[in-house]
Amino acid sequence: MSSEPRADDHGQHGPGSGDARAMLRAWILAKNDDLDAGALSDQTPLLTTRYLRSVHLPELILLLERVRGTPIDVEYLGAGDFRDIDTIVTGFITPAQNTEPAS
Amino acid sequence: MTVAAGRARLAEALRSLSGTVERLSALSQRDYQNPYRTLEWPDSVDPDSGWFTSPELISLYGTDFYGQLGESSRRRLSFYEAANFYSLNIHGEKTLMQGLASRLYRRDLIDVAPYLHHFLDEENKHSVYFGGFCTRYAHVYRSRQVALAEEPRRDVADFLFFGKVMIFEEIADHFNRLQARDERLHPVARFINHNHHVEESRHLAFGRRLVQALWQACAPDWDGETRARIRDQLASFFTMSWREYYNPDVYADAGLPGAPDPWELSETAWSSQPQRSNRSTASRKCLRFLTSIDVLDREPPDVF
Repeated sequence: MSSEPRADDHGQHGPGSGDARAMLRAWILAKNDDLDAGALSDQTPLLTTRYLRSVHLPELILLLERVRGTPIDVEYLGAGDFRDIDTIVTGFITPAQNTEPAS
Repeated sequence: MTVAAGRARLAEALRSLSGTVERLSALSQRDYQNPYRTLEWPDSVDPDSGWFTSPELISLYGTDFYGQLGESSRRRLSFYEAANFYSLNIHGEKTLMQGLASRLYRRDLIDVAPYLHHFLDEENKHSVYFGGFCTRYAHVYRSRQVALAEEPRRDVADFLFFGKVMIFEEIADHFNRLQARDERLHPVARFINHNHHVEESRHLAFGRRLVQALWQACAPDWDGETRARIRDQLASFFTMSWREYYNPDVYADAGLPGAPDPWELSETAWSSQPQRSNRSTASRKCLRFLTSIDVLDREPPDVF
């Protein structure tokens, strides 16, 4: 009875990785009132600085799923998957966009 | 304040719960149940013909899209919403059982150990009911929570654990309480909600006393930064807990005619004013309590 949502069921998804980075930056800044935009780079550690905490992850994962248009299997995710913006984009956005149908 | 003085204050606070622990333990023993015999499960249920979630508690209720749905689509959505609600409880109770088991017979919590046994036992039984529904008629929805080890201080970790348990259970109980008395609901759905509400009322009473006792005993030893971090964690947990009620997987499963992208639908419902009002109503009692004992000093972000 399960039919997890799929991008191809619901139209085209996914901005370029530059757009995804900008969107992630905006989202992280919105979660941290005291974080200056100039201090947040794509390599800024997010967990050790507590800019990203476990209580933020369901909302972030929903956002990432929405951008890439496919569900994310959270069962095996850990801290290393959310180290910084680079890691998140490379791990969750770029692979989904680069996926080619099997020939 | 010395460490010894802090421990003495915690011990005294926990001893003050002895009357509550005895009373609630006696009630749990009196109402002890076998979850494999209490409910007769039908072989199947028809998602299109009954209500499994009260319409007013459906996560799309009050949105323009919900207004356009026909009766059978609304009922089908109510079925998958129920499976999601039960799944959220399963995931929450898994975390809860892990936390309770790790604290069982810990020396500094020995005074509450008798009730922790009941708490653990009853949470496991609740998951038998929730899992029984999901695996027979639907499936267990995934959670998007990822556990990261974040809190090295044991007293802070204890407080956050019981604080989060209370928030999770208070929100769920709002749904249980209303649906337990909703005669429109399918008998199985009504039973699960009623049974959970009755047992949770004991857990909630214990949780409120314990959270208050821990805060009063430990907060004086925490500096301003630690207290601010705890407040932020609990407020964010409120937001996280509510966010999972708007599950795109549910909208996809329900096969709603004319539905937009399920993630879009989730976002639209989350942001809609009727849903903000529903969350505010459902959270009021818990927020009022946490504010009254000075644990929270502001509303959770982006919930209401």
